[in-house]
Amino acid sequence: MFGVPVSSVAQKTTSHKVVLPFYGYAAASLFAAALLILANSAAFTGHYFHPRILAITHILALGWATMIILGASHQLVPILVEGSLYSEKLAMASFILAGLGIPLLSYGFYYFEMGWPAKWGGRLVVLAILCYLINLFKSISRGKQDNVHALFVFTAGLWLFITAFFGLVLVYNFTYTLLSEDTLHYLPLHAHTGILGWFLLLVMGVASRLIPMFLISKYRNPRLLWLIYLLINTALLGFFFLYLSTVLINLIFIPALMVLAAVFLFIYYCYRAYQARLRKRVDPQVRISLFSVGLLALPWMLLLILIGLLLRNGGEQTSLALAYGFLVFFGWITAIILGMTFKTLPFIVWNKTYHHLAGIGRTPNPKDLFHDGIFRVMVLAYLAGLIFFTAGILAVQLFLLQAGAVLLLGTAAMYNWNVFKLLFHKKPVT
Amino acid sequence: MKPINPDTKIAVLLKQDPRALEAIISLSPRFEKLRNPLLRKLMAGRTSIQMASRIGGMNIKDFLSKLEALGFHIEGSGPVPAESKNRETPDFLKDLPPDRITELDVRPEIETGKDPLHLILQRLKDLKPGQVLKLVNSFEPVPLIELLQKQGYESHVEEISPDLVITWFYATRPVDIQGLDPAKTKGWEILLKRFDQKMQTLDVRQLEMPLPMLTILEALETLPPDQALYVYHKRIPLFLLPELAERHFDYRIKEVSDQEVHLLLFRS
Repeated sequence: MFGVPVSSVAQKTTSHKVVLPFYGYAAASLFAAALLILANSAAFTGHYFHPRILAITHILALGWATMIILGASHQLVPILVEGSLYSEKLAMASFILAGLGIPLLSYGFYYFEMGWPAKWGGRLVVLAILCYLINLFKSISRGKQDNVHALFVFTAGLWLFITAFFGLVLVYNFTYTLLSEDTLHYLPLHAHTGILGWFLLLVMGVASRLIPMFLISKYRNPRLLWLIYLLINTALLGFFFLYLSTVLINLIFIPALMVLAAVFLFIYYCYRAYQARLRKRVDPQVRISLFSVGLLALPWMLLLILIGLLLRNGGEQTSLALAYGFLVFFGWITAIILGMTFKTLPFIVWNKTYHHLAGIGRTPNPKDLFHDGIFRVMVLAYLAGLIFFTAGILAVQLFLLQAGAVLLLGTAAMYNWNVFKLLFHKKPVT
Repeated sequence: MKPINPDTKIAVLLKQDPRALEAIISLSPRFEKLRNPLLRKLMAGRTSIQMASRIGGMNIKDFLSKLEALGFHIEGSGPVPAESKNRETPDFLKDLPPDRITELDVRPEIETGKDPLHLILQRLKDLKPGQVLKLVNSFEPVPLIELLQKQGYESHVEEISPDLVITWFYATRPVDIQGLDPAKTKGWEILLKRFDQKMQTLDVRQLEMPLPMLTILEALETLPPDQALYVYHKRIPLFLLPELAERHFDYRIKEVSDQEVHLLLFRS
């Protein structure tokens, strides 16, 4: 009576025990970063190569964004490839290694202690990423189908490993002369393998699947996604080559244009999915994620202006570079995570608490497990904070920076309130 | 006057003949509380003659004959249910670690004429699995014991002195998550029967994401109002749940195995 037989490939949902710690860690990191931004607002009026800014960037990039992405990937990748996670132990190992490594590394930067804290921090982070990569590879190769989304995610993982490994080399370069130039010279390479290779590829790979799903849209276009994939990876390899060759440095705008083209194609993809949607009213979590996609264009255009100015004047454009970095991490990446957290976490918590009760009686709506009002206020505080702080960097105004930092701290506090409300959710009667 | 029997509530007696109040109080000093109008209102509606005689610690026959003297007509002389309460202390209660006991003394509440029922239910809700509630009271809370028994709580009564009774409450089966409203506890089997001949089936197990969700939502749009949709799925479609709520559909889920889940979707 049940019709066609079900495939024999086991499809197990990843245990919440593996995924939830990543979310908690990320939320705490966002708060820590916002607190440090407020305490060190003045540092944002100077050069970006500043111990405090390096520490804050790594808390944001690793503790906040990478941790939550690692957590969500352990849950999402098995769904993308219709299989199950290879090893929950490896996932836990990855959490513990990164969880110990990130504070050490950040401490090392904050006090510019490039000895054992930064070195051990870097080593632990590299090991954590290795665990993640092995787990990812095994899960994808065992899965029922591999698709362009899974390829995006895996390639992104490879770039993350390259970024972290190169970062560790740069830490060593402070104390030993490993490379021909000083660490500052290589910083753009490290930053862009991270930003483009890891974050951009990953977000595009996952969002190209999730956004149509959340919009309830039938739009599909794997060919366009393949093109985006090729553009970004070619651009990154080209950037590496051109940057290190020094002779051809003037051609560096070519990879930048390729990335910009990829971004606009991706925005086009999301727009088409939005047009073909069945759901008329878009909920605020998806709206801020779409906003983040639009926000993508902003830092890249800034980057083009930056390159143009650098090539013309040759001088350093520190506040523009700082604004660019800030818009990438606190603008684009944070916006998408703020939205997507509440599109994933409530469901993981619902599944943990209620799935076995869903046959007995009525169970709550996953969307009701967090406070919607606080979410909305958080989005407003975030947008205002982003605008104030960016304006503060560009205008070199401490007052604007501080106002922005207070708003961002409020954002982090509200985010934490909702995340921990979800993490500690218990069903009403036991 | 309407005939009375052991199941007649005290409130009914007092309504029929206010003199019954003094008669009952004269039976046992424990009934002194009934003089308090608030407590009377609270307890009398919940307590039957049979329960009251247990609270008062007397034979039910004495209770009934006292009422008979006032002119109440006793209905039938059917067998009075024997005292069936097991007074033996259950083994697990004997050496229970203190962290598994939640103690609640309701005597101050009752003394001031407040209804402790809400407080008691709240404490029971907060109990973690394996924990017991130790209720301290001045009499055996027979109406409460019977009420909670229906909710799945077992009890054990220890009479320390005539004025100090300890009642232990503990859950014996998982208590329904929606609490005390039986209207909301309609489970899979009951609903399956309700939609027996009024069900459409849909198999989305072979579809690639996100087609299962789209197919289900399309099917729901054309579903006749009194019918249910029975879906074969590979996993619990979590992202479908808010969509269902938005379209005023309710759902029940049966997990057949790791790879097979059945859903029953119907209008709420």
